[in-house]
Amino acid sequence: MSEYIEINNVRKVFRQDDRETVAIDDISLSIKKEELVSVLGPSGCGKTTVLRMIAGLTEPTTGEIFVDGNKVTAPGSDRGMVFQDFALFPWRSVRKNIEFGLEIAKMPAAERRERVDKYIDIVGLTDFADARVHELSGGMKQRVGIARAMVNNPKVILMDEPFGALDAQTRNIMQAGLVRILEKTDQTIVFVTHSVDEAIFLSDRIVILTKRPARIKEIIDIPWPRPRDRASPEFTALRKRILTELEKENVLN
Amino acid sequence: MSKFKYDSERRSHRFGRTLLIMAVSLVTMIYIWWILAIILNTPVIPTPDLVWDAFLNLFRNGDPNTNLSMWDHMFASLKRFIGGFILAFAVAVPLGLLIGYSKFLDEFTKPILEILKPIAPIAWAPVFIFATTVAIGPILVVFIGIFFPLLYNTIFGVKKMDPSLVDASKTLGASNGQIFYKVMLPCTTPFIMNGMRIGFGIGWMCIVAAEMIAPIGGGIGYFISMQGLTLFNWPNVFVGLAIVSVLGLLTTGLADYAYRMIAKRTGME
Repeated sequence: MSEYIEINNVRKVFRQDDRETVAIDDISLSIKKEELVSVLGPSGCGKTTVLRMIAGLTEPTTGEIFVDGNKVTAPGSDRGMVFQDFALFPWRSVRKNIEFGLEIAKMPAAERRERVDKYIDIVGLTDFADARVHELSGGMKQRVGIARAMVNNPKVILMDEPFGALDAQTRNIMQAGLVRILEKTDQTIVFVTHSVDEAIFLSDRIVILTKRPARIKEIIDIPWPRPRDRASPEFTALRKRILTELEKENVLN
Repeated sequence: MSKFKYDSERRSHRFGRTLLIMAVSLVTMIYIWWILAIILNTPVIPTPDLVWDAFLNLFRNGDPNTNLSMWDHMFASLKRFIGGFILAFAVAVPLGLLIGYSKFLDEFTKPILEILKPIAPIAWAPVFIFATTVAIGPILVVFIGIFFPLLYNTIFGVKKMDPSLVDASKTLGASNGQIFYKVMLPCTTPFIMNGMRIGFGIGWMCIVAAEMIAPIGGGIGYFISMQGLTLFNWPNVFVGLAIVSVLGLLTTGLADYAYRMIAKRTGME
């Protein structure tokens, strides 16, 4: 299979005043089409920075990122993003939030409506289509966030701890929902999380980063079918193994 | 259904109570005024009944010294006020958006604005009147009065904007222009409205003061200055003060209402 996202020797140094912080120290990674790759690592290790660089919101200091053969230089609608704090437009209804990208692309109104309806249905918000954002629960807000990213039909969806602000129960429901949605689509997903459980439940591969400055510590393939049983022995064993790895990163600081 | 009825009954009960307290409060104020006027026993502070007579007379027969009706005076003040407001809005809002957006502009304009801000708008009146005309000068005073609260609130609004909303719109393909119109503007609108609300109060004070300094072409400030400082007609002065209060309440009330509507619509509440 083709390498769809390619991260080549990327390094990111943040400069503030006269202080330099090396956030990411030489990461190279290839992600295949339709793959779901999770990025795990200790807090503040630069997981989000990796995602923002693929999105084009942050520029690598050195190195290059390619998506479907094109070098990333700026954000674009081919790379949708889902944010931890939802980042919904509070003055727009659920429908108008999801419609934003199509409006930007100047799609005709009738076509737009049809497409938005479809995605409102996919995320199960048909009864809330005209609700305002502040009337929704956290889980519903993030479903709007996911629909808003997907409606543009991007090649890649970048998810930055999308369920991090939700309670444990809602989080499990959202993960199962995401698995169902992904079965029907062909999008490539890069998923940043600090939940080992979530990463194992969702991913084809897990990339574990070291503490800052981040390098790739290990890449774990998970060829199991979905939906996955969190209580199965291999799930539990893998969870334990990854947690031990992450623990080492925390102890060493 | 019954619950709704209960709620609406309660609400109207509460509203009635508020109205009653308001009425008692106003009556108390008039009595205190009356008692003070009798105790002080000076023509400068007339009793409320004299002011009421003057009020009826002025609205029936107009201002005898200028051949203008009271409505003409009110309209003249409002026209200047609106002129100053439009000017302030046209300058302060775009400038505020730019300053909020650009760190360089923020740093560059800060010393200039900080030096100009403490100058009371009315202190500019002589300069503005002689630099332009007696007709335009007072409008510029209102402009200054509204300009600063509007500018600072607009800047604040841009700075308070959630940066992830801009990131989100970028990843949805928005260009800089689209980000400006579809994200920045709606985000800052409630703050702009809040600046307007504050600016209206200050602007209204400015126009009355400026009219007292540039007494030409009518206006409530002009009327007060004429009646007080030239004609010593104190009941008429108090009618003027009452008009200033009511028009001020109306203009700020309008801005207040608009602010709350927009805050609600934009989900900021």
